[in-house]
Amino acid sequence: MNDLLQMGVLSAVAMACGLIGPLLVLRRMTMLVNSLSHTILLGIVLAFLLTGSGFFQLETLLLGALIASLVTALSTGGLVRYFRLQEDASISLVFTAFFAFGIVLVTLFTRNVHLGIEAVMGNVDLLGISDVSLSLGLVGLNLVSVLLFYKQFQLTSFDGSFAKTLGVSCSVFQFFLLTLTSITCVGAFRAVGVILVLAFLVGPYLTARLFCHSLGWLLFWAPLIGVFSSCAGVGLARVLFDQCGLALSTGGIVATLLGAIYISAKCLASFNMAKCEKRLQS
Amino acid sequence: MIDFFTDPVLRAPTWGCMLLCFASSLVGVMIFLKKRSLLAETLSHAAYPGACLGVVLFSFLFPQGEHGAYWAVLGGAFISSLFALLLVHWLESTRVSSDAALCFVLALFFGVGIVVASGMQSSIPVWYQEVRMLLFGQAATMSDLHIWIYGGLALFLLSFLFLHFCPLQALLFDRDFSKSARIRVEWVEKAVFWFLVLSLVLGIRSVGVVLMSGMLVAPAVCARAFSDRLQTVFIIAGSVGAASGFLGNVFSFYAHIPTGPTIVLVGTAFALGGLLFAPRRGVCFRLFRVFQFRLRCMEENVLKAVWKKGTVSERPTIALRLALWQLKRGGWMDRDLQLTDDGRKKAALIIRLHRLWELYLTEELGFHAEKVHHTAEEMEHILTPDMEEKLTRLLENPKLDPHLQPIPEKEL
Repeated sequence: MNDLLQMGVLSAVAMACGLIGPLLVLRRMTMLVNSLSHTILLGIVLAFLLTGSGFFQLETLLLGALIASLVTALSTGGLVRYFRLQEDASISLVFTAFFAFGIVLVTLFTRNVHLGIEAVMGNVDLLGISDVSLSLGLVGLNLVSVLLFYKQFQLTSFDGSFAKTLGVSCSVFQFFLLTLTSITCVGAFRAVGVILVLAFLVGPYLTARLFCHSLGWLLFWAPLIGVFSSCAGVGLARVLFDQCGLALSTGGIVATLLGAIYISAKCLASFNMAKCEKRLQS
Repeated sequence: MIDFFTDPVLRAPTWGCMLLCFASSLVGVMIFLKKRSLLAETLSHAAYPGACLGVVLFSFLFPQGEHGAYWAVLGGAFISSLFALLLVHWLESTRVSSDAALCFVLALFFGVGIVVASGMQSSIPVWYQEVRMLLFGQAATMSDLHIWIYGGLALFLLSFLFLHFCPLQALLFDRDFSKSARIRVEWVEKAVFWFLVLSLVLGIRSVGVVLMSGMLVAPAVCARAFSDRLQTVFIIAGSVGAASGFLGNVFSFYAHIPTGPTIVLVGTAFALGGLLFAPRRGVCFRLFRVFQFRLRCMEENVLKAVWKKGTVSERPTIALRLALWQLKRGGWMDRDLQLTDDGRKKAALIIRLHRLWELYLTEELGFHAEKVHHTAEEMEHILTPDMEEKLTRLLENPKLDPHLQPIPEKEL
């Protein structure tokens, strides 16, 4: 029962991430998302202080996600545009500063350091039925947004200036995507933690990109690969626990699997390429 | 204040943080100028699984030797960071975009780290304490040993800078050119990355995995805002780093907040201060220059209008009042808002520049006479006496502009 629940939640998270991951990687926004995954701590702490409800209440989390995406996008963009700072430096300056600020706030107001560790690692064993509906909601939200604005996302990912001439604003959709990502991260962080979400966003895309050459197929295969590795990860964690008595973090195993799948596929692909080239030469 | 440097309990965190921040800001300048600041983030996360595995191995080999665990953490972290660096380079060389590669390697290594850490938590919980503090760091537990380690790192870096400054400069300034000029930059580049890994690995125990990249980048950002010379940038960054290490320690001691985040916040404050108030590159300075230019344009436009109409007829806004006050102060206008002798000459000169430019656009560049007014409105504030002379010679000292208005004579 518990395993099925974990599989369901992780698969839903993987599907939600697989739907927006390709769009993020195509716009080269993944390090911005990495920055977002750190600023979410500050967002949640601020939302907690504003609303006064519990740390893991839904409205706190959603408000926190919104604050985090706003703060990250505005301050990173502002540093680049008005302070003339190079982009990589402004990203790392912003997220370290906000993360540090978040930790300071947490220690000052709650004296609870575990929040940080929980947010970073996630804990699959604490999942309940409510998490299933939450993560299914995430899938629905991302699916509807991507389907509704498929054309706009496609345009703005591949050719910003062309999109502009057709009257589609790049920055609006960029911010929309960032907000979606932020909500997804927050929804996922009870299950896998904010950093492992990155593996769910990037890993399936990279693997799918090895054999897909259109956005539609990418958006189909990336969630599928994510779902596959989630189910396999939960199964592997169960087997390891039963056979060797090792209680390993399921989220970590899934992330490792995603990485392993990509790297082996990549090696296979480059090996194939080398063979093809040799045949062409001879 | 002096207690922080001598007190047997306080001196280790103080000196340790200062030396560590000093060393990491020197490395930070190099990777900031190479535009690879985000690499620090990936590599510091990638140190986590290595540190965990190092402790696991150590616990199997020497079940009793708890004091050596620190070295196991360092060794494991160093190896896995290097491995992550290789993986990033490999991915980037195979058409994966740089940020996707960085993000993927970060998440993968951190995932492995979490798997190992959770395994340790359940099977060898005593040793888990060693790696638990790596995530957020614990500067308060530094001992005198760390002063020597961080001092050694700083000394090592400084001697590298002194001995190999020229190839380093060539590498940071223009890598491809220096390669083609047969300057041996490859091994210097390798050394830079090794230093990055080394300082990250040494630092994560004190400030934590996440905040290390902030300590690297913030002093470099501040220093770069103040100077264009590499030596000066290194010197400023080093002092800013050491200062933020010290101040962060002091603040965290008095306010009872964790040391690592406080150091990063102080460093960020330095960086923001530099970006805002640095001469020449700072935002405030640039805004002030824009304001000055706008004000000068306005003054010149007022002079022009008075020259043409004879009075100031508009109801003055605040900006206009400022311009009028400046004009009176500069002696271009008298108290009744009439042009003085100098003012008349200057106004005539501006009109002359305006009409010369209009004529130049129509005669030499073939613009239509109706389209030249707007560019001339702007160029009249920019043209220098030198350019005026050349224009006069080119157009053979003309008397009429394209709208058949007289061009004022040049007065001395």
